[in-house]
Amino acid sequence: MKKILALLLILALSISMFAACSSDNNANEAANTTSEAANTSTEEAKEDDKEEQITLRIYAQYSDDDTKVPYDYAVAELAKAYPNVTLELDIQAQDDGQKLQTYAATGNLPDIFQVGSTQIETFKESGNILVLDDYAKSTGFLDKAHPSAENIIYNADGHIYAFPYAGNELVMWYYNKAIFEEYGVEVPETYEELLEAIKVFNENDIIPMSIFAKEKWITTAMYDVLATRFAPEGITKLDAGMGKASEDAYVKAAETMQELVEAGMFPQGATNLNYDQAASLFYEGKAAMFLNGQWEIEGSTDKLGENADWMWYPVMPGYEANKFALSGGGAPGGYAVNPNSEHVDLAAEVAAFISEKYCEAKYMKRSNPILALEVNVQPEKPFPAMMEKLANEMGNITSTTKFAWGLTNPQFKVAIEDQSQFLMTPDYTPEQFIEELDKVIDRMNK
Amino acid sequence: MKKFFGNKWAIAAFTLPALILFTVMVFYPIVQVFYRSFFDWNGLTAGTFIGFDNFVRLFDDSVFKVANWNGVKFAALITIFQMTMATILALAVSNARIEGRNFFRVAYFIPVVLSVTVVCQLWLSIYNADTGLLNKLFEVMGLEYRQNWLTDGSKAIYAIAFVNAWQWMGYQFALILAGVKSIPQSYYEAAQIDGCTPMQAHTKVTIPLLKETYKFCLVISVTGGIKAFTEMFIMTSGGPGTSTYTLTYMMYSSAFRAGEFGYGLTAAAVLVLECLAAILVINFIFKSEKGVGDLK
Repeated sequence: MKKILALLLILALSISMFAACSSDNNANEAANTTSEAANTSTEEAKEDDKEEQITLRIYAQYSDDDTKVPYDYAVAELAKAYPNVTLELDIQAQDDGQKLQTYAATGNLPDIFQVGSTQIETFKESGNILVLDDYAKSTGFLDKAHPSAENIIYNADGHIYAFPYAGNELVMWYYNKAIFEEYGVEVPETYEELLEAIKVFNENDIIPMSIFAKEKWITTAMYDVLATRFAPEGITKLDAGMGKASEDAYVKAAETMQELVEAGMFPQGATNLNYDQAASLFYEGKAAMFLNGQWEIEGSTDKLGENADWMWYPVMPGYEANKFALSGGGAPGGYAVNPNSEHVDLAAEVAAFISEKYCEAKYMKRSNPILALEVNVQPEKPFPAMMEKLANEMGNITSTTKFAWGLTNPQFKVAIEDQSQFLMTPDYTPEQFIEELDKVIDRMNK
Repeated sequence: MKKFFGNKWAIAAFTLPALILFTVMVFYPIVQVFYRSFFDWNGLTAGTFIGFDNFVRLFDDSVFKVANWNGVKFAALITIFQMTMATILALAVSNARIEGRNFFRVAYFIPVVLSVTVVCQLWLSIYNADTGLLNKLFEVMGLEYRQNWLTDGSKAIYAIAFVNAWQWMGYQFALILAGVKSIPQSYYEAAQIDGCTPMQAHTKVTIPLLKETYKFCLVISVTGGIKAFTEMFIMTSGGPGTSTYTLTYMMYSSAFRAGEFGYGLTAAAVLVLECLAAILVINFIFKSEKGVGDLK
């Protein structure tokens, strides 16, 4: 009896295993059949796309007001323009692209996904990203594009892989006017004035500059800001493998950063401060200056009102010509499309549409006029004074660089992020910084 | 039934499902790790075979040295702390004269059931240089020992290791306590008749009889230290710079941040070998030492 029971058990196990495998096979076959059918009758599919209810998976940022507001607006507008299309949101993880890479590796990429320039390069090689040149023309996306946004629309190879919405954003050096006035400190225009300001603030228990250096992109931005003081191209030259960290400009930038750390410019334990902690130091008047992207304008204006302002980065003696060279700037990126999407044409159309609506939302609701496209809407409230100032001063900017996420070489990106954070600690020397960076650059150039 | 289990086909049939699962979930990925470590691979394309180039680069990489050294520091700290504290507390709790033993037994185990993320956030607050409990304690005691626990490149790894040691001590405590409970009371009575003090009874009877338990504890804490990742990922993101990298973090950073999956898997391959070597060494040490259990 027991023997029969045991044999039955084995049989049940085996059957369940085969059943599971076979149902998978059936599913795969079904998927293959669907995909073949889709390929063989594109025209029919296009017709169907217009009539049937279609759900597109979209992988997008949706974490704060700056990402939620434009997304919600775009979805609402999409419902009007494409009533048969529903978006299924897969919220983008802050994971260095790990989730998206896994999706690509397992053939599970969403129909539309937000992508940065580093991943464009990887996905290009593996055929996981659709070339959008024709769609950019047919949807009228290019007609609406700002001439200044060419660098973020076209990849280095001349093709379009993503529909951008953000314009050439910048690294801004914010300051609290009230604190400067209270301690009688002039807004520093030169390095010497900056050192003097740091001294005064430290004597009065004010943190000269707050920075969320736990995030490595901002330490990269800080180093880049200093690098632009000596060479306007900043770290982009190193990213392109066209220069070495041992060149004079980059050595001086590293030495300056170390000097500023030693002078007490940043809060103690800065490399463990996250955005909320660092921003609250600035908002609460405990820090006189703050480094962040231009998207901080809205937040700082809300918290500090008219006391919030931005300044040009202080100039190094002998390098006055670089005064208007700024860190930041754009890089190709935005909404990309999965070439294996079942509704690839529709996905490309929707991606272009969403990007355009993002631009509108950012202009209308987020007081941000620096966009990839020209928009035909009015802002819901007047732009903050800092944004007006930036818009007026735009013409003076002589050059921009890139944010860390816009760097094209991922190995260099990791190296500069790690090494610039190291430079924020007192015991790390510029020599170590240069040696480690040059090792990576040498390997990139092999 | 005996005859049935003597049948090799029957044994094979019963072990096959587990074996297949183990092969698919564990063995095949490990083989892939070693195989892919010989490739220049971005995780998506087929990759290019480059022989031992990744290994040559790895052994010349200063980050690899830092990561390995951090693994050693991490493993040493958690092993010493967990095994010492777990032994002391287990012996104390097993003593019938201690009041509130049940409370302590549960209390010491509580950190184990907490999420690592929660524990890390808790310790991030404790380590905060300005407002953290630790620095405040030093301040209250009048000691000039305020530290930037997580931003000092030379101290951060110890601070992070302590978090792991604190959280998982309860696990070793439970294992050792179970071991202590399994020792027959008659051994202690015999030791008492021979004139042993309680301390001698523990050193001559309890600890030698817990040899297998200690071996297991040592394996989990040493390998846990070598492959540590979560704490540094949450608390410092490997920073400042690369000063709290471990081999696992290096693997993550190479694969997912730099897109060098082949190189990341080379670090993973070395990690697997290091863990295996650690287990072999521990087994060898415990095999060559004769405990009381072997004399029976």
